[in-house]
Amino acid sequence: MISEKLSPMDRFEAVCADPYGLARAAAAQGHRIAGYMNSQAPEELLHAGGYFPVRTFGFTDGTQLADGLLQSYACTVARGALNLMLSGGVDFLDVMVFPHTCDTVQNLTDIWKRNTDQMRVFALSMPVCMTGESAVRFLCEEFGRLRGFLEEECGAITDDAIRASMELYERHRAAMRRLYVLRRTNPGCISAADVLKVVLASCLMRKEDHLPLLEALVQDVEAREPAQADARPRVFVAGTVVQRPEYLAAIEHAGCVVVDDELCTGSRAFNFEPVGCDDPLESLARMYLARPPSPSKHRPGFHAGRYLVGRAQAAAADGLIFLLTKFCDPWAFDYPHARETLDAAGLPSLLLEIEQQPPPSGQFETRVAAFAEMLCANRKEHE
Amino acid sequence: MSGERVPIEATKTCMRLMTEYYMRAKMAEQTDQKIAWITSGAPVELLYAAGVIPIYPENHAALCGAQKKAVDYCTVAEEHGFSRDICSYARTDLGAIYKGTSPIGGLPKPDFLLCCNNICGTVTKWYQNLQRHFDVPLLYLDAPFVHGEATPGAIEYVRAQAVDLLGQIEELTGAPIDQDKLVETFRLASRATELWQETLDTSTSRPAPMNSFDTFVHIAPIVVMRGTQACVDYYETLLAEMKDRVAKGIGAVPGEQYRVAWDNLPVWFKMGALARKFAERKVCLAAATYASAWAVEINHEAEDLMRELARAYVTVYINLGLDQRVEALCAMVAKYALDGVVMHSDRSCKAYSLGQYELARTLTNDHDIPVLVLEADMNDSRVYAEEQINTRIDAFVETLAGRSAAA
Repeated sequence: MISEKLSPMDRFEAVCADPYGLARAAAAQGHRIAGYMNSQAPEELLHAGGYFPVRTFGFTDGTQLADGLLQSYACTVARGALNLMLSGGVDFLDVMVFPHTCDTVQNLTDIWKRNTDQMRVFALSMPVCMTGESAVRFLCEEFGRLRGFLEEECGAITDDAIRASMELYERHRAAMRRLYVLRRTNPGCISAADVLKVVLASCLMRKEDHLPLLEALVQDVEAREPAQADARPRVFVAGTVVQRPEYLAAIEHAGCVVVDDELCTGSRAFNFEPVGCDDPLESLARMYLARPPSPSKHRPGFHAGRYLVGRAQAAAADGLIFLLTKFCDPWAFDYPHARETLDAAGLPSLLLEIEQQPPPSGQFETRVAAFAEMLCANRKEHE
Repeated sequence: MSGERVPIEATKTCMRLMTEYYMRAKMAEQTDQKIAWITSGAPVELLYAAGVIPIYPENHAALCGAQKKAVDYCTVAEEHGFSRDICSYARTDLGAIYKGTSPIGGLPKPDFLLCCNNICGTVTKWYQNLQRHFDVPLLYLDAPFVHGEATPGAIEYVRAQAVDLLGQIEELTGAPIDQDKLVETFRLASRATELWQETLDTSTSRPAPMNSFDTFVHIAPIVVMRGTQACVDYYETLLAEMKDRVAKGIGAVPGEQYRVAWDNLPVWFKMGALARKFAERKVCLAAATYASAWAVEINHEAEDLMRELARAYVTVYINLGLDQRVEALCAMVAKYALDGVVMHSDRSCKAYSLGQYELARTLTNDHDIPVLVLEADMNDSRVYAEEQINTRIDAFVETLAGRSAAA
């Protein structure tokens, strides 16, 4: 059990140290648990159905079990999650939801389904093209299908229950956005590794349990004195999933300070606001479609490079670090033009390929340190 | 029948047809006729009906691969920041664009792009890059992946987009698409598709008159000219020749002993060597999931043609989940009386390849079908481990021999 007396940050840390401990304990007490693969999942619906939603991260030592079912050219996000399931790490799940994202997750969904009889698996189709009313209608229908799938087990999910969950989730997202604002204005008020732990814990705890701790943490961070003119170069971090805080710790240890991010385990999970409609499913659909497109999506006119430049400049970043998971095609396709656009805007960037299971290598930190030195030199030039 | 392989006559016609197709497209670059780059799984019928010339970067990449030029272009794309881990078709074409050349002198520039993600999510990203490079409109058809059965919502979603697509194409060409022309184009497409399926079906005969290495060549017209009379004419010729070969007992592999299916894209840069390797072992690749992917039936007489288009294009083989792929593979093994399946685990194609280990396991354990998985790539010869692959093929043929002796 995690002690109630710990500070919010200590609580989050304890959750990260035993990622599925809370869910497992809740399952043992008879609660329904719903797993989900990525930040595209409409968690609100799962929550409204009385489920404890948890995100399946490959917090395992390796991918040996998964390697028999997925080629080595599948990313370690996919292989890690599959390994987690195959090793029995989430055998308490009642349902598992796979929102469609990339080619890898598309096939992982079926592989997962064919290799477990412990949980019911739901493949949630989501529009890849994020514009147009036909996409809204389709997503509403998909959310309706998911609702029906859950209701088979949990009974009727009322519109009011969905609205209540949406409110709770919006409060939670607002608190996360607030934490990010604080970090942008006073970087160093909380370390990047700690921010990631807050995010990871929010995927592993009930939102109603996470929220009060998060709000207390935000209050505490707000009260912290601005650091004495932090001289470290300010970096913006972009990429898919980072599930090991060590990567961000290494970046800050090497001399940079992280001011903001565009990560699936970061701002992408809460950087959007509610859309009001009479039908709660339509509100959800419109909200999800209005999000900044992830690299696996398509929105006519959207330019990933310009978007990143805008975000990095808004955070007054000196440079940007790409933390791209090896074999993540959507990001790999966005990288060349994103880099070009950053260059043109005078924002230096560094590409670092990462894997989800092993901790960062010594070389990782060396490369960040060299980048930090370059950013410092740039700064002096401009002074 | 044993002895020398009898070449397929129609191959020359196929080559001529494709050369003329590329020449016409090249010449159109100087005219008012619009050119659109299109993904291989997209509804090309709409372009032909609108008088737009479709150009297939995928076909072009395969052509570069077959001429062993792909790596040169891939390297250029990599120098531009594209990871070696992404699709080698995309790298080949992007590299050719940056280099401004290719074995056919580069592709004619597009006036617009048409991307349909029913073959993979990779094309979405690839075409976004093309859009930024050429600064031309990108038309996009989002075809949701089908786990189990296509939902009515998914079909309706694609139908609605297809209707919009027609309007967008009309706007770009500045002329309305004639309804009769549209129906006629679909009629021609569905006729060509039938003929292609019938042609593939001739390989149910023993010996098979053509094998996958042949179909990978003869597949080009059905992909790029579907919806034209020339395409229909071509497959009538090819089918007639195959029927003639069946009647005369001419096999693709002289002395055919074993029959297997090929799963996934070809290894373009090793077509000749692999064809020889399998033929020497008397193994005929009598069927291929890749070749069948373009045998999707469309009813051109359907009342709502756009709904029919949606249904057909959403349910192409590679847009279906693993349960459906197991069914399709088992049906293929039964139909063509196959002894096993060869799976090309194509590092470039995650959509096609991830899941093959599960398919292989299921076919072997639940259906007693031997499976050989070869780790390779369709265009990037740098990841091809020749000796290892040859050894594995030899071992697989021994397995087939053992099973046939025991039977």
